[in-house]
Amino acid sequence: MSGSGSRAPFDAFFLPAAGGERFCVFHPASGVPAGSVLYVHPFAEEMNKSRRMAALQARAFAARGYNVLQIDLFGCGDSSGDFGDARWNAWNEDLALAADWIARHTEGPMHLWGLRLGALLALDYSRQASASFAGLLLWQPVISGAQFMTQFLRLRLASEMLSGAEAGQGTSALRSELAAGKTLEIGGYELSAELALAIERLELARLAPKDVPAQWFEVNAEGKPSPALRRAGEAWSAAGAEVDLHAVRGAPFWSSVEIGECPELIAATANAVALTPA
Amino acid sequence: MFNEVKTVVDSALQLRGRLGESDASTPLLGAIPELDSMAVVSLIAALEEHFGFAVADDEIEAATFATLGSLTEFVQQKLHA
Repeated sequence: MSGSGSRAPFDAFFLPAAGGERFCVFHPASGVPAGSVLYVHPFAEEMNKSRRMAALQARAFAARGYNVLQIDLFGCGDSSGDFGDARWNAWNEDLALAADWIARHTEGPMHLWGLRLGALLALDYSRQASASFAGLLLWQPVISGAQFMTQFLRLRLASEMLSGAEAGQGTSALRSELAAGKTLEIGGYELSAELALAIERLELARLAPKDVPAQWFEVNAEGKPSPALRRAGEAWSAAGAEVDLHAVRGAPFWSSVEIGECPELIAATANAVALTPA
Repeated sequence: MFNEVKTVVDSALQLRGRLGESDASTPLLGAIPELDSMAVVSLIAALEEHFGFAVADDEIEAATFATLGSLTEFVQQKLHA
C-alpha cells in the first residue's frame, strides 16, 4: 500500500508487538507539526465500512499540521492474530504501544480519536494510561456496551426474520452460551466470551475522562444531538468532565450498505482539534 | 412522530428521500431492497440510539417492520412503556 496520486504521502509499517505485529499507517503532518492524533478503529464490520472516512479524516488532520497514526488492533485488519483471540486488555496494550511510538517519533500534544466502540476503547485507555492526552475526539461513541453487543448478536435474528424462518435462538440464549465460555460466530466474526463480556460492561456515561477535554461528534439526518447522547453528556458534566457535543448531518457511514462519506464531519473534527488547547 | 421515524428509516437505509410521499401504509419489509439483515440491525440500532430505548428479541418480527405506520406505532409504544 502507498499514497495514491497527488494525495499527501503516508507510511505503512508493521509494529512488533505481543503475539506478532500490528499494522500501522502513519500520516505525517504537513508543515510544522502542531501535535499528533492516534486513531482507534471501530468493531468488526464497522471497521471495514469506515476505512474510507478514517483515511479522509487522517489526511485532513495531516493537512492541518497533525501527525496521525492508525493502528489495526490485535486480530483486526492486517495485524497478527485471530479476531476470536482478541481481548479488551490486549487492545488497550496495543494503544499504549501506539502512543509510545507516537511519543518517540513526533512532538507536541497527543489527541485520541475513536469511532463507535473505538471511542470507548480510547476512553478506557485514556483513564489508565501513563501518557497524558490533550483531547479526546469521539465519533458516534457507543453509549452502552450491552446494547452494542445485543445489536451485534442480532445479526442472526434479523436474517432469520427476513428468511421467514421460525425464530431460533434469541440474543439471551446466545448470551447464555457466551456466559458458559463458548465462542460464537456472528456475521463471519468469531466472538470470544471474554471479549463479549468485557464489552458488555462498558457504559459511556460511566467512562467520563479524567482531566482530558472531550469532543463528541454525532452524525444523523437532522444534524442535532440525539436524546440518548445528550443524556450521556449530562452524566459526564455532572461528573466534572469537560465535554462538547457536535452534531452534523450525514448518514451512518460505519454501518451503511454502501461505503459513505461525510464531509461535514471531517470539517467539524479538523476544526475542533485545532481549537483544543495544548 | 411519524416524520421522525421516517427520517430515521431514510437515514439508516440511505434512501435519500425516497420515502418522500409516503404515508403510514407505505410498505417497508419486502418493498425496500436495501432492507437486508445488516440493514434491519442497523435500523433497529438507529431507532434505539435515536430514541434511547432497547428493543427485545421477541419484538423483532416481520409485523413490526411491515409498514412505516406499524413501525411508528411500535416506537410510540416503546416510548410510553
